Amino acid sequence: MTKTISLTLKVWRQKSGNASGKFVTYQVPTVDVNASFLEMLDVLNEQLLLKGEDPIAFDHDCREGICGMCGAVVNGQPHGPQRKTTMCQLHMRQFQDGDTITIEPYRARALPVLRDLVVDRSAFDRVVQSGGYVSVKTGQAPDANAILIPKQDADLAMDAAQCIGCAACVAACPNASAMLFVSAKVSHFALLPQGQPERQNRVLEMLATMDRERFGNCSNEYQCGAACPKGISVSNIARMNRDYLSSKMRLS
Amino acid sequence: MASSSIGKKQVVAITGLFLILFLIFHLSGNFLIYKGPDAFNAYAEFLENLGAIKWMARLGLIALFLIHIVFTAMVVIDNRKARPQSYEVVKSVIKRSWATRLMPYTGSVILLYLIFHLLDYTLADHSGHNSIVNGQAMELYGLVYNSFQNPIRVAFYVIGMTAVGFHLTHAIQSVMQTFGFYHVRYTPIIKRVSLVLGIAIAVGFASIPFYMMFMQSSCVTGG
Repeated sequence: MTKTISLTLKVWRQKSGNASGKFVTYQVPTVDVNASFLEMLDVLNEQLLLKGEDPIAFDHDCREGICGMCGAVVNGQPHGPQRKTTMCQLHMRQFQDGDTITIEPYRARALPVLRDLVVDRSAFDRVVQSGGYVSVKTGQAPDANAILIPKQDADLAMDAAQCIGCAACVAACPNASAMLFVSAKVSHFALLPQGQPERQNRVLEMLATMDRERFGNCSNEYQCGAACPKGISVSNIARMNRDYLSSKMRLS
Repeated sequence: MASSSIGKKQVVAITGLFLILFLIFHLSGNFLIYKGPDAFNAYAEFLENLGAIKWMARLGLIALFLIHIVFTAMVVIDNRKARPQSYEVVKSVIKRSWATRLMPYTGSVILLYLIFHLLDYTLADHSGHNSIVNGQAMELYGLVYNSFQNPIRVAFYVIGMTAVGFHLTHAIQSVMQTFGFYHVRYTPIIKRVSLVLGIAIAVGFASIPFYMMFMQSSCVTGG
């Protein structure tokens, strides 16, 4: 027999973006400690369905910590108490028998709640659409390693590219700023030769979109980097600040 | 520059940096108080007689303060609106620094302090009856001495300088990040320098009210 724990869940329930929401308390008497957080919610949802109630809506997809779909604020922390872990990879063994867990959606003006724990993260898509890419001329496939890239730059670019766009950074930021996300997307190209031709426009365009989407401003508190399930470094924010300044200087 | 989020912060950072330089300049002048009334009053008179340069510096400082405050206000107000609904459970991921959290408040305290400070000394009559110690006219030195015989004013100045200390410990390292300097080895050092420099500037300024409060009036007039 696997160990089970009994939990009290306080979950934010909200029918739609326009409806007002409230916390609803649920008792979950037998939670398998080896279940993931989302599996625990699945079990609760099945019980709710059997009772004829609406299941709790939450985002999820790969459930292996690589897609960036899942995420909610668990006991005040995005993705829950375990560092560098997405909510789907958070397991119930992180909790104690008798715990009360409060689950609420990300709170940000730029990420409105759609239903229960689901928020609209299309602001992130629009930021990426405005510059988070490199333009390529198609033709014959280039040689894989024809362009030299210093190992350190390649590593840092890969570190930045690990961002899965889950928006935990926005949720954790006291100002609901998206600087860590945008800076990861900017850095990931800024460090590579392929990213150079569009480097200046990229940073200006992505930042303009970020501001238009009405995220807050960075106040260098670094909650974002600590909350990031992929451990994206706030050094990327510094790089973006630098790129912004040099782009402004050169373009004006 | 002023339209974007980072641009606003960089404007705040650069004006803040100049204000820090001004504070260091101001503090080094203040330290002449420890050399005695003659050195301090001579320095004050030298600054007073700078004429056009004095006014350029004053206008420059007013502009720096105004730009710093207006841009900060824009950023802070926007940040307040960026999360319309707050969290039920508030538990930060890493410990939040008080210096960082209190930036808008310490800034406001400094502004309030500054108004009184200007009325106290800069705009006050340096040779009026408030500058007289033991019947001798001691100019600005005497004005400073007399004003700090009042413990409430000493307390007010110490509160003002505590706010400056908190403000600067965050500010100095924050300026570096905002202008894009981040280094695995040097950033932790910069944070420590920021802490030490912030405290040192605050303690340096705050030492003067205490020094004045505890000094005998006979020492002032050399009698």
